[in-house]
Amino acid sequence: MQDTYSYIMLIGAALFNLLIFPGGLFALGLGVLFKGLDRKIEARLQRRVGPPVIQPIIDIIKLSGKEAMIPETAQRPLFQSAPLIGFIGMAVCAALLPIPGVSGGLPYMGDMLVYFYLLQLPAVALMIAGSSSSSPFGTLGFSREMTLMFAYEIPLLMIILAVAMKVGGSNFAEFSLMNIISYQEEHGQFITNWVMIPAFLAYLFFLPGTMGVPPFDIPEAETEIVEGPLLEYSGASLALFQLTSAIKNIVVLGFGVVIFFPMTLGGNIAVNILWFAFKCFVLMLISCTFIKSATGRFRIEQAFGFYLKIPAVLALISLVLVWFNF
Amino acid sequence: MSFLNNIATKSPWLFRINAGSCNGCDVELATTAFIPRFDVERLGCKYCGSPRHADIVLITGPLTLKIKDQVLKVWNEIPEPKVTVAVGICPISGGVFKGGHSIEGPIDRYLPVDVNVPGCPPRPQAIMEGILLAKEIWLKRIEEAERKGVRHVQIS
Repeated sequence: MQDTYSYIMLIGAALFNLLIFPGGLFALGLGVLFKGLDRKIEARLQRRVGPPVIQPIIDIIKLSGKEAMIPETAQRPLFQSAPLIGFIGMAVCAALLPIPGVSGGLPYMGDMLVYFYLLQLPAVALMIAGSSSSSPFGTLGFSREMTLMFAYEIPLLMIILAVAMKVGGSNFAEFSLMNIISYQEEHGQFITNWVMIPAFLAYLFFLPGTMGVPPFDIPEAETEIVEGPLLEYSGASLALFQLTSAIKNIVVLGFGVVIFFPMTLGGNIAVNILWFAFKCFVLMLISCTFIKSATGRFRIEQAFGFYLKIPAVLALISLVLVWFNF
Repeated sequence: MSFLNNIATKSPWLFRINAGSCNGCDVELATTAFIPRFDVERLGCKYCGSPRHADIVLITGPLTLKIKDQVLKVWNEIPEPKVTVAVGICPISGGVFKGGHSIEGPIDRYLPVDVNVPGCPPRPQAIMEGILLAKEIWLKRIEEAERKGVRHVQIS
């Protein structure tokens, strides 16, 4: 009897994490709000009036009421399931996100590795979308997305390794996000540690690539390959892709906050949630909005070279320093 | 549901079709309507690259013989409910190209045009007014489609 009760409690807690906080409603609401703020700030930086902050919500409401079109030559099962794959991956990711001082995330050893794999799912979904839509632009987008993913995964993996080895000690790696947070509460945040600053800079470069904003919006380049993989989507599927990218923004920004500056403000839960959202917002401003409103677009081979030359080398510097116990 | 429909019309995504235009109207659409002074994005507009994402179609040019089939094909790719806006004098009457050997226009011989924005090229204010008028027609179309209960998945 006691066992059944505790199982129900576990399932209830998991559902709460998945549907309301920190996944589900919270991540969706925050993500959509961030997208709106991002568009508004970009417009103000270009001295335009800009759309209202709730514009992404309006877009999603409109799209879900539109007619859905499926190309005759598309692979229908794949074409229709591609948006779901990305969305489910990101929803799980957001549910596992530990928010410092509020919720702990997964109590197991390797959740940072789980994160590393789940973070690639939206890119995989875009690849499936592009290749199954039978449009030449979609196929081009598919190949570009794959190249870009390989490029930004290398620095990300080295950043994760550097953080894990810093926390675990020189010959032992610690992949649990909870332990990473508690280590930083004891020894100071990684952003104040000179050994980890190159890794943090590399993470700043990783963010625009994974969020698909200029100068790294190569797979969905509107003016070259007319939004690539998203070209053939319309109506509710397109809305699902937008929701996925909104949650993904929160997930990658929150992940950066957790591994580099998770310090809390006292024990109040509401204050900590707001503080977390504020830190995510600042990270987005620096790595995404400011750069986006001032740059054009890289060619794919330039982006590939850039990721291997600068962020990968920065992350490697941190990794080597951590390896030699600085 | 009319509340949701009202919200939905605050996000008109624009799609440009060049039906053999001299590029004057396209420059007006692409640049002046988006410069800080006018900024159509504050109406929630966004230029989208794919016809499948579009709500309001802006057609420029007198519809030349060579591009007629492609224009009709692209226009059919746009999901319902959609609104068609003819920008410039060319799609309305042929403009300076009227009577040319390669001109198939005026465009409303082939497509139902909802709003005309005359001018050579039209002023940005006129383009924005055209978009606002198109928004009102679009709302009527959405409500009409809802009354008839049309909500289907189209294979094309």
